[in-house]
Order: sequence, then C-alpha cells, then structure tokens
Amino acid sequence: MKWAYSWIRSPGYVSISTVSMNLSVFNAASPQASDLLNLWNLCMWICGSVLTVVTVSIAFIIVRYRQHDDAEPKQTTGNVKLEVAWTVIPIFLVAILFVLSIRTARAVDRPVTREADIIVTGHQWWWEIVYPSVDAITANEIHVPIGRDMLVAIESADVIHDFWVPRLGRKIDAIPGMRNFVWISADKPGEYLGTCAEFCGAQHARMGFRVVAQDAAAYTAWLSGQASAAVAPTDAAARRGRSRFSELSCATCHNIRGENQQKPYAPDLTHVASRVMLAAERFANTSENLKAWLRQPDVLKPGCNMPNLKLADADVTDIAAYLETLR
Amino acid sequence: MTRYNTAKLSMAVFLASEFVFFAFLIAAYVYFYGAVVQGPRASNSLNPPRTLVFTMCLVASSATMWMAERRLRNADRREFRIWLGLTIFLGAVFVFGQATEYAGLIAKTITPARNLFGATFFTLTGFHGLHVLAGLISLSALLGLTFRKNFGAKEISGAGAIAMYWHFVDAVWVVIFCLVYASVWI
Amino acid sequence: MSGVPFPSTALDSDLPAHARSTWLEWISTVDHKRIGILYLLTTLFFFGVGGIEALLMRIQLAWPENTFLGPDTYNQIFTMHGTTMVFLVVVPLLLGLANYLTPLMIGASDMALPRLNAFSFWVFLFGGILLYFSFASGHAPSAGWFSYAPLSETGYSTRSGLDYWALALLGIGVGTIATAINLIVTIVNLRTEGLTFRRLPLFVWMVFVNSFLIIFALPALNATLAMLLVDRQLNAHFFTQLGGGSPILWQHYFWSFGHPEVYIMVLPAFGIISEVIPVFSRKPIFGYRFIAASTVGIALLSVGVWAHHMFAVGLGHAWEYAFGASSLLIAIPTGVKVFNWIATMWGGSIRFTTSMLFAIAFLFTFTIGGLSGVTFATVPIDWQVTDSYYVVAHMHYVLFGGTLFAVMAGVYYWFPKMSGRMLSESCGRIHFWLMFIGFHLTFFIQHILGLDGMPRRVYTYADHPGWAAMNMISTIGAFVIGISMLVFLANIVMSLRRGAFAGDNPWNAWTLEWATTSPPPEHNFDSVPPVRGLRPLWDLAHPGEQTP
Repeated sequence: MKWAYSWIRSPGYVSISTVSMNLSVFNAASPQASDLLNLWNLCMWICGSVLTVVTVSIAFIIVRYRQHDDAEPKQTTGNVKLEVAWTVIPIFLVAILFVLSIRTARAVDRPVTREADIIVTGHQWWWEIVYPSVDAITANEIHVPIGRDMLVAIESADVIHDFWVPRLGRKIDAIPGMRNFVWISADKPGEYLGTCAEFCGAQHARMGFRVVAQDAAAYTAWLSGQASAAVAPTDAAARRGRSRFSELSCATCHNIRGENQQKPYAPDLTHVASRVMLAAERFANTSENLKAWLRQPDVLKPGCNMPNLKLADADVTDIAAYLETLR
Repeated sequence: MTRYNTAKLSMAVFLASEFVFFAFLIAAYVYFYGAVVQGPRASNSLNPPRTLVFTMCLVASSATMWMAERRLRNADRREFRIWLGLTIFLGAVFVFGQATEYAGLIAKTITPARNLFGATFFTLTGFHGLHVLAGLISLSALLGLTFRKNFGAKEISGAGAIAMYWHFVDAVWVVIFCLVYASVWI
Repeated sequence: MSGVPFPSTALDSDLPAHARSTWLEWISTVDHKRIGILYLLTTLFFFGVGGIEALLMRIQLAWPENTFLGPDTYNQIFTMHGTTMVFLVVVPLLLGLANYLTPLMIGASDMALPRLNAFSFWVFLFGGILLYFSFASGHAPSAGWFSYAPLSETGYSTRSGLDYWALALLGIGVGTIATAINLIVTIVNLRTEGLTFRRLPLFVWMVFVNSFLIIFALPALNATLAMLLVDRQLNAHFFTQLGGGSPILWQHYFWSFGHPEVYIMVLPAFGIISEVIPVFSRKPIFGYRFIAASTVGIALLSVGVWAHHMFAVGLGHAWEYAFGASSLLIAIPTGVKVFNWIATMWGGSIRFTTSMLFAIAFLFTFTIGGLSGVTFATVPIDWQVTDSYYVVAHMHYVLFGGTLFAVMAGVYYWFPKMSGRMLSESCGRIHFWLMFIGFHLTFFIQHILGLDGMPRRVYTYADHPGWAAMNMISTIGAFVIGISMLVFLANIVMSLRRGAFAGDNPWNAWTLEWATTSPPPEHNFDSVPPVRGLRPLWDLAHPGEQTP
C-alpha cells in the first residue's frame, strides 16, 4: 500500500492503482531517494495549493459571472495592492523551495571525499562496471552492500548517456572526457532497476541495468567471484564452445579474464552466467534467450554493435554451453 | 507616421542580431584559446604585421565610406561615387589579404580539421570574411544604383543603412584583430 | 450592439470585392494580411505532418515491446516531430498571427518592410521543404530536436540528415530574424497618432518584446549550427571530445538559444489571451502595466536560465544553485500574468464563445505546465524527473495546452476578421471539448509515467506493471486530439463557404483591427479612429466618459 501512502502525502498526484513500483521515484529505497521524495512532496503541496487557488477561482468565475444580460460590468482596471500580494507571496514560496533545494542537494549530492568504489562507463548500448579495488570487470549489473554509501564514478566511452536508478537517487550524465560522481546506497536487499536517461542513439531504449543490494557477506562473496579469472570448462560441448569463441572472433570484442585481454569494445563475459539479465536488461538470462541472442542480435536489438555472425546451430549450442559455465 | 528612418532602424536591429552572432563565435575562440598548447596556434601561425596592413585598409575603407556619406548628404553624386568606389577597392584589398592568408595557412595544413585553433580561427574570420563579401556586393549594387536616373530619398536612406553595415563589419574586424592577432604580437 | 451575425445564407458575392483573389496574387503578395494567412495555412499543414508523426509514435508506444516501428525509424520520427513542431509550427504560427494583426492593431497600412516580409515567409517554407527533403535523401535527422553532441557528429550520425537539419534551421532562423526586425520597425515607426507605447494593445506589446528575444536567440542558434556544420563538413572538433572539443559547449550554446526560444513560443500566446479575455468578460484588462512590465521581466530573465536544461550534466552546485534561483524567479512574472487574467474575468459578464473556452482552458492548463516547471527549477527534483516522460508532459502542457490553446482562442476570435465569416460555434464547441479532453488524456498521465521511471525518447519499453495501461490511455488521447483537429478543419472549410457574415466587429471588441471591414481592404483602413486610450472603440462608444 506504499503507493497509496505516497498518494496521500503528495496532493495533485492522481494515483492509478496499477502504478509500477520497479522504477518509481515514489518507491524510495535509499536515504537519497527518500530525501528527494520528501522535497517532491513539499513541492507538490506548494504547487498544489497554487493550482487549487487558480482552479477554484476559475470555477467560481464560470458559475458566478456568466453573462446574464447586456449590461456592462464595472470597468475595473487594476489594484496595486493585489499586484503586490500576488508578486510577494509567490516570491516567498519560491524562496522556500530554493532554500530547501539547497539543503536537499547538499544531502543527496555530497562532495567526493575518496577514490571511487565503482567506475561505470556508458557505451552504446551497455554499461561497463569496474570495481577498481579488486580489478573486477562486469557489465550491466552493479552489486552494492546494503546500508553502505558507495561512490560511483560515471564516464562514457562514446556519446552522452545518463545513469538513473530512480528508487535509489538522482540521475547524472555520462559524458565523454568527463568524470561525474554519484553516491549510491540501498536500505534493504533487493534489485533496483536503472535505465539510460539521455538519448544516445538506436538502442537508447534498451540500455538498462540493475543495482543488486546484498548483505555484507553475500556482497563480498560476489565481489571476489567477479575478480577471479574464468575456469576452463570440462564438459565437451563447453570446451568446443570455448575454442569456437576465439576462432569466430568473439574474442576480438568480448573479454574473458584468463582467456584474452582487450579494450572493452563489448561487455566482459568472464562471469556472464552469474547475471540476472542479458543484453542490458533486454531479457532474462536463460539458455533459450542466450541462444536466441547468439543467433540474431540484430533482430533482438536492431542497430546494436554486435554483428550477426550467422552462426551454425552447432556453434550456437556449444558457445552457449561455454558461456553458461562462466559463473 | 514614421518616427525614425526605416532603413537605418532596420539595419540597427539587424546589426544587433549580428552582434550576438559574432559574440558567440568570439566566445568559442576565447573558450578554446587556452586548450591548444601544442601544434599550430595563434602565436606561431599568424603574421600580425602583415594583417595589420590589411586591417588598415579596411579601417581606411570605413573612413572613405564616411567621406562618401558626407558627399551624398551634400547631394554631390559624382564625388559620392568616387569615395564609394574607393571604399569598395579598399574592401576588396582586405578580402585579397584574407584569401592569401588562408591560402598560406592551408598550404601548411593549418585547417579547421587540424586542431581547435584552426577550427575557431577559420570559423570566426571566415564568417567575418563572408560578411565583408556581402558588404562589397551591397556597396557595388549601391554604386550601380547611383548611375540610374531616379536616385532619390529612398536610395539615399538605403545608402545610410549600408554604410552602417560596413562600419559594423569593420568594427567587428578591429575586435577580431585585437583578440586574435594583436594579443599574440605584443 | 451585440454583434449578431447575419443569416447563414450569405453568399461569397456579398463579401467585400477585395476578399476574392487569384493564386498568382497569393504567391507574389507583399501584403502582410496575405502573408499572415500563408503562414497560418503552411503551419497548419506542418502541424498535420507533425501530428501524424506523433500518432505514429503513440501507436508504437501503445503497448510494450511493440514492433510497429523499428528503433531507427522511431528515432527519426521523434526528431522530426520535435523539430517540426518547434520550428515549422509554433514559431511561424505566432509570427504569422503577428504579421496579420500588428499593422491592423496599430492603425498602419502594412508592415514597414513588405518585401522583406514576403522573403521571410518563402525562406521559412524553403527551410521546411529542405528539412523534409532529408527523408528523400535516405535518412532524416535522428539525434533529437536539440541534437546533442557527440551523437550529432559524423562519428555517430553518419548520414546527411543532420546536415539538412542544420541547413534548414539556418534558413528558417534567417527568416525568423527578418520577421522580428520587421515587427520591431513596424511597431516603433508606424503606430498611428496617439498610440503611445503605454496604449499599445497587449498582443502588440508581447510581439514587440518577443521580437527582441528573437534578435538575441536566433543568431545564437545560427552560430551554433554553423559550428556544427564546420565540425561535420570540415572535420573540426568544436563539440567532439576526441579532438579537444567540448560536448558540453554544444549544450550551453544550444540552450542559450533554446531557452529564450520557448519564451518566443509563448509570449505572443500570452498576448492573444490578453486580447480575448477582456472582450469576452466585457471589462478592460486588469493590471495592464503589470502585465506589460512582467513581459519585459520574463524576456530579461529568460536569457539567464539556460543551464536549467543541464542540471543532470554535473556542472557543479554553484551553477545549479544560480540557475535554480533564476529559474524559480521566472515563475513570478508568469504568475503575475495568470492572476491578472483571472482578475480580468472576476466581476465580468462572461460570454462562453469557443474562443473564450479555449482561453479559459489555457489558464487552467498552462498553470499546470508552469507549476511543473517550478518542480524542475527545484534542482534536486529535476535530478529525478528530467529526461523522463515527466518533462515530455511539462513541455506539452505549456506548448500545447498553453500556446496552442491560446492560438485556438485567437483563431476563433480573429477568423471573422480575416475571412469575413464566423466559424460555427456549435462545431467549435465539439472541437474544443474533444481537444481539451484528448489533450489531458494524452499528457496528464505522462507525468505519472515519468515519475514511474519511464525515460523519454524510447521507442519501446518493458512490461513494467501499469506502463502498458498508461501508455494506452495516452495513445487513445492522441487519437482524440487527431479527431478534434479534423473537426476543426471541417469547421474552417464549412465556414469559409457558408459561415455567417461577420461584419466589422462581431464581438463588439475595442482595438483598432475591429474598426475596419472584415476582411480589411488592402490598405487596411479608410480612416483610423482617434486613439486616446487602450480601447479606442470603447472610447468612441462612450463619448464623454473617462477612458478607464
């Protein structure tokens, strides 16, 4: 019933019963997001009051002053006292908003005091995630420990993107040649969806990511897992897949730690099987979806940079089998 | 009832818009000035003394234009033509100087593509040069009009407007010269 | 005299002789009235094009994971929709109205520079054709209507669509500047005797201030477009970080134009409302001096708020506080106007003509749009809602629910003057209610979608709970708007043929354009009434009374 509570607290917001909670700014899950929501609610009270005054006045006028006869009404031209009132009161109202906006900005957007915990680089159309402390590289899925403030650096490898996790806090642009910072934290364990929020070309709509908040132990385990190199597979199909992976030029773009070392042209696949989703939230990470992606990335994400290599069915099965071992 | 000279008022408003246009190009030049620390830039690629000569021609053309306007106010059409012709000649000399400067820079592969100095320098001086060319065309058209029989009040106020334009273009060049050339010469 | 229209059996031959004309006269005209109508017809056409683009987008977004339009096609369409609506509809529409009305409202016989006026129209039309030619070249621009770098550079936008975009806008920009010069000189120079600036009709006042905004903003755009073309065609690096350039400079430069542009798109609409509301309330405008002064305030402030489009860029708190403050401040003079318009109606004798219905709808809808703007000016809120469907809602509330509703009020008000015939009021009511309901259905729900996390400029979306229903509602609303436009078109066509005779002053209004025939003769006035106050015709009808 959280949505109903936010409806009550924010007048002027007409609630629809099926409002989504996945990406909603009303479903705040961090101190920053709550601060932002509180400011929003206050702003709604102020704006709502003004709108109410305007609407009620108009409704009153429509009823009370509709034409009854041809007589000319009193030809008033103005009233200086009223002018002063409706100039000064709004100044007062926006002054409140301004002061509170400074307070919230300082709480939500705190200064950078140390090295970044996570470096996020936007690419057309996926997110490169690096944990510099352990040299772990992954894609499209960020893990954070609950209750701890993580400093995230935001960069871009090509055009301007934007990093936005509505339930956790503000959005910030990823700009080539510039490093921005955002503080991320989550109150409770869970998965918080994010999306690119600056138009960046063909697949801007499909450049999602998620922030997975875990308790400290689970987070540490995940992190050391991500930092480790890939284990060579034992299964026959997976071993065939591993050879085909290099032979078919997949390795020219995709890194697998322990196998190759390339610039990040494409998502790092060292632990791809550990992720919840594939292709930047395009679909769930299942065997079927993975095979479909290998067969036709250009159909599932038209315009994306992964070419359709027109793989034979045997290759698709084997490479998928290999990738599924990369936990 | 017309309160102000329509041609001159229109030109003044137009020049206000041109002021904004050049201000943005100049701001880009200034903004990127410090970013170019190696390779061709103002201090090692330009020839301020040479450009000063051509600048003097352009400034002189403003003076001759002013002289022409005075002649016109005294209804001395023949003298007006002479000073106007001189203005056009001096303006053409300036354009020649610009063109040869460009040729020299391009021969040294200093182009808009080369670096931000090339980009900002050519864009700023290039648009100025285009404005000078447009001015020369207008002045020549005006000169042509003086040979017609009915050269009256309307044409005279038009001449005043074109003269304003010409002075503006020259003033913009003085600013550009000081900013781009003189600042690295002194 | 309450302006009762003549019987609807009026024939074309009953109209003044000068109302009939040939095609060639229209194409070669330098008459501000004909040029104004050419603008209105052309922008109506482009509104249809932009509207179809909108409907295509709404079909694609009607349900999740839809495959009606592929991403590349969708991205071209949303770019063209925005560019069309801003540059080929709203601005030329307002300037077209200004063109038609300004000389009439100041008692002049034409604009100061009639041939420049014609030039402005044709260069605007050429720019529009050039923009749409990009489709024929294989690929329309697809980087959004504000073409952020480096996406708009050749590295990421390899086709020529963006070059057409830049060239078309350069041409249109030149035409717009020329019109602004013309309007300024006309208003300064050609006011009839007695018409001081303090007595200027508010529509003319707003057009006057607006023209100065154009003189500042459009050259800024031209400089910015020129630099983009130098980047794209001469391989420079103004806006690409790889060559030492700055993508953020593009944003600063573009929004230095772009923010004044949105006020350019609304000030004349404020002027229309300021004319319509007093007439249908039968009272003078309340607080004339304050409305006029607040207009100047808005114009001055509007050149100092541009970076509020960049609050998510990471410019730093100093920038964000400064521009947050200036953006909050600009709400004040806008509010002053809304309160004055309400006060004008207060104590009046309201006639609910279609024009007045649109004016009242404007007050309500624009206020919502303005208030959502205040939420953006509260910087941390912007950090959540910018670049989401919330901002799509805001911009349509102020530009459609604001400007376009005001334009509709103006069209129903001045159509009789332009054509000599009344638009059908019953048809007008149907148009109004369909448009009003359709508009709110389409756009109100987009506030919620944005708050729910739906980003803007997406060709599709995942099946998050509620998004499908909300998007479907929005799509249905868009089609209701489309139907309302068909009703409007039918009204125009029908009324041009068989509408009731308007006469000189069907609304019993008070400004000078009503002191001549409908439509006016080519020289506008046989004789201009004396001007001793804000409402010359009211003064004539109330001899001996002090003009309020």
